[in-house]
Amino acid sequence: MNDILTIILVLIGAPILGCLASGIDRKLTARLQGRVGPPLLQPYYDVRKLFSKDNMVVNPSQNFYVIVYLVFIVLSLLMLVFKQDFLMIIFVYTVASVALVVGGMSTGSPYARVGSSREIMAILSYEPVLILYALAIYLLTGTFKLSALLDKSSPLLIYTPLIFIAMIVVLNIKLKKSPFDYSTSHHGHQELVKGMTTEYGGPGFATIEIAHFYEYVFLTGLIFLFWASTPVIGVLIGIIAYLLVIVIDNITARVYWQWMLKLSWTVLLVMSIVNIAFLYVSGAQLA
Amino acid sequence: MSLAKSPWIIHVNVNSCNGCDIEVVACLTPLYDAERFGVLNIGTPKQADIMVVTGSVNYKNVNVLKNLYNQIPDPKVVLAVGACASTGGIFHDCYNVVGGVDQVIPVDAYVPGCCPRPEAILDGVVAALSILEEKKKGNVKGKEVKLKGNEVPSNA
Amino acid sequence: MIENTVMLLIIVPLLFSLLFVALPKSLYKYLAWAFFIIGVALSVSLVLGGTGVVPVEGPNFAMFENIVLVLEVLVILFILAVSAKYKNWPTLGLGIISAALFAYTYANVPGAESASFNIDQLAQLMILIVNIVGTAIILFATGYMDQYEEHRHLNRQRIFYFTMSFFLAAMNGLVMSDTLGWLYLFWELTTLCSFVLISYNMDEEGINNGFRALALNLVGGVAMSIGIIMLATKYDISSLTGIATYAGTDAVALAALALPVALLCIGGFAKSAQMPFHSWLLGAMVAPTPVSALLHSSTMVNAGVFLVVKLVPAYANTSLGTAIAVYGSFTFVICSALALSQRNAKRVLAYSTIANLGLIIASAGIGTPLAVAASMMLILFHAISKGLLFLCTGEIEHTIGSRDIEDMSGLIKKAPLLTSIAALGMISMLLPPFGVLLTKWVSMEAASNNPVVIVFIVLGSALTTVYYSKWLGTILSSSMDKNAVPHKKLETYFPLSVLALSIIGTSIFIFSIYNYFIGPQVEILLGNVPNITGPVGQFTSEIGAFDYAAVFVVLALAILIYLATKNMFTPRIASYYMCGENNLEKDRLMFRNGLCSYEKSSVSNIYLQNIFGESKLTTFGYAISIILIVIALAGGVGL
Repeated sequence: MNDILTIILVLIGAPILGCLASGIDRKLTARLQGRVGPPLLQPYYDVRKLFSKDNMVVNPSQNFYVIVYLVFIVLSLLMLVFKQDFLMIIFVYTVASVALVVGGMSTGSPYARVGSSREIMAILSYEPVLILYALAIYLLTGTFKLSALLDKSSPLLIYTPLIFIAMIVVLNIKLKKSPFDYSTSHHGHQELVKGMTTEYGGPGFATIEIAHFYEYVFLTGLIFLFWASTPVIGVLIGIIAYLLVIVIDNITARVYWQWMLKLSWTVLLVMSIVNIAFLYVSGAQLA
Repeated sequence: MSLAKSPWIIHVNVNSCNGCDIEVVACLTPLYDAERFGVLNIGTPKQADIMVVTGSVNYKNVNVLKNLYNQIPDPKVVLAVGACASTGGIFHDCYNVVGGVDQVIPVDAYVPGCCPRPEAILDGVVAALSILEEKKKGNVKGKEVKLKGNEVPSNA
Repeated sequence: MIENTVMLLIIVPLLFSLLFVALPKSLYKYLAWAFFIIGVALSVSLVLGGTGVVPVEGPNFAMFENIVLVLEVLVILFILAVSAKYKNWPTLGLGIISAALFAYTYANVPGAESASFNIDQLAQLMILIVNIVGTAIILFATGYMDQYEEHRHLNRQRIFYFTMSFFLAAMNGLVMSDTLGWLYLFWELTTLCSFVLISYNMDEEGINNGFRALALNLVGGVAMSIGIIMLATKYDISSLTGIATYAGTDAVALAALALPVALLCIGGFAKSAQMPFHSWLLGAMVAPTPVSALLHSSTMVNAGVFLVVKLVPAYANTSLGTAIAVYGSFTFVICSALALSQRNAKRVLAYSTIANLGLIIASAGIGTPLAVAASMMLILFHAISKGLLFLCTGEIEHTIGSRDIEDMSGLIKKAPLLTSIAALGMISMLLPPFGVLLTKWVSMEAASNNPVVIVFIVLGSALTTVYYSKWLGTILSSSMDKNAVPHKKLETYFPLSVLALSIIGTSIFIFSIYNYFIGPQVEILLGNVPNITGPVGQFTSEIGAFDYAAVFVVLALAILIYLATKNMFTPRIASYYMCGENNLEKDRLMFRNGLCSYEKSSVSNIYLQNIFGESKLTTFGYAISIILIVIALAGGVGL
């Protein structure tokens, strides 16, 4: 009974949180640019408007992929809340990302195909770091299951500072914010027209937006795990990381995907491997 | 009510001198800040509500305009910005100019001026929004504008 | 009862190979159907017959041993003859070395008194794969070869079917044999079949690649025979179970076995086309697609990893095991990187095969019960998925006339059923809840204690995601014109459907497969069982849990939601955005360019050939893999 209540709470509460997070994003960006900015609930108005538009498609089955995207992001969020195996959560999350990429390519539009190719490069950049993060949790707690991590009393961050920095960059890549927003730019509003999501309109695009809301909560949850022993501090770290991402978004310019690939496979990967090596050699365990 | 809270525009330039374009883009800058009304400059027609057209139409651009109009999902409104978009402006009699956007696609609101001030453009957007709401309520669907082949002027 | 099934499993394919030669071409279809049904029946009856060792002794043994010796001599003579005929000196040299080793064995090594066939769970699993997937592929070939030969003006189908069936007999013998001498014979027979089938085209490229396969496999064969000779002379071991028993006696024995076992493993590496032997598998892609599907993805290359897994008791938890694990995972990451840069679909699949075989070897090398279980599961799932993908590529090639991934853009409009099955194959290699990903998850969790191996596996897994999703998106994109007519033959689509349903079935019933085959086999090999518990539907070990049932349910839910809401918002079809320059007169797929004419837009995927290209990575791969093999031979110094 408790489980069902939790599921309902997550299903209803997460998009609300995500919507507010997105609204804070736009408001903060506007203030940083010296403007007034839209009202806080603007993303909700956007989604409501999109549902009342025509369902315009290029390929009659293109909405299937965004439904898979939404459903699997919800599933990975639920699995995170229910403290399942972290490596499994990452793989389920990969299904969602690949579904969106394939959905973009399925329309056949040249802009969408270029956007999807670039998003595949983004997947290549962040996936090793995510799995090494899971490995760090294993090395510190002896299991991949998150239930063990959430029982500990000392935070993860003390032992994995380099992975934390790498995860902040991965957060940037996943949220498609500058300097990594070249597959589709949500925030800068145009890159390759709209990149992967160019040909999605109406309810299809609304589904993508709702999935983005869930994704904000999920990704902040990944950062929350760094200090899961004291939930308040964990939530605080998550919020600070998100605000940091917004600020970085506003002060950087879009770069080439080749630069991102180089950055990720040299700097981020080496940082994570150094951290893992340290954990492996010292044999530290979380108390 | 819901549509008026989040109008996304697609900005199309057909044969404009770019004067009106600069004013349209200026609406999105911090001084005038159209985003406080939820206005976003979306590049793709499939996610747009308002088609902001500048420029008097020339013969090469006719099919482009129709193409883009057909790719915007309903309900949609067209806003013609500037004297050229309304009637052809000072280029009205040129050999290559069709003369005004409403010769090609149905227009819902006109913003006169050469070039109109950003406040006037925002005024036009607000007027277009109320028309948008009416279209939504009345479930008015835009007709697909048919192409007429490569248009050439009769005195070419 | 088992003896009869064992005999039938070797004799029946031989019978069919003779039938294929004797009967006219029009009857091949029916022969293939009969072969499929009989193959399924035989393999299932072997599984139901239980496990056990089938000894062959007494007068039977003497007769079979003579047959084996005669066949060995024939094989060597054939190799010498064919390499002399085509003046291929490396192969001739290797053939002479093989002949010398054979003569030495015959003269000096004491003969055994009996031979045996060991039917354990791994052998049963391999028999199921070989006979169900293999006969399905032969069925597919009956629908494929006519068009193939028509394009190339050949008329050698008799030899083709003869060799394919003969190969199935050899493969059956290989996975059931326990005696090392007989294993070696079947091994060489499969090498021979591979040579004949690769050079099927009889053009220069085919013959060169055939000889390359022959030479590299002979290198492995030479290593194997040296290992067998060492085992027989020094330790008096002549069977695989003998190795396991001897290794279990004490630590000194275990350490002494390191060198001969390493040599046997090198034979396995060569057969499984690991680096640095991988060039033969890439060259083998010139063969007809059923050959690639049968030999070079599901069965023959699996023989190599089969041997490596069978030898687990001899190197588990030793430095040799760690060396093998590092070597396997290195191949996994390098070949995944190389696959990224390939445009030829068959080369992508070849590199992917080599990479996954490397992953199997890496898991076997790690040596914990969980890891060995992972390697066996991966053998099963990979064989089915890769066989399906190769068959789909062959059929796609017949539909559009090209193997290039870029030409497959928009395939979903031309051949929807074929594209869906191919998409299922690719998704099964890549995403949960299907078997390959589940075993990759198990491998990762099992490898977590070995930092080098886990980092390689992580990188390789990320690269795998890239090249498969690239290809998946390309075939599902919908921009093509429909001028090709798909050939809808039952012989083509029945095997594809059987394989596709097997993928889904094995992924759903993975727990039953684990309990019936994998768990007991790991117990036989290592003495203790991995701690897999958990309710059916969740794969729980001591360090993690995978809720594959939940993912299946959610996937089904997504499909249901889509079907339910499909017409809730009436779809309105529009053309895609090309800045308004779509040509509205015809198909709206072309755009008007600056010269006022219409042209098609084409976007290709990112291949990164300057980073992951073959010219950049192959030399590096050769160097590191040779170093790793030398380290393995030296007993895994200090690892």
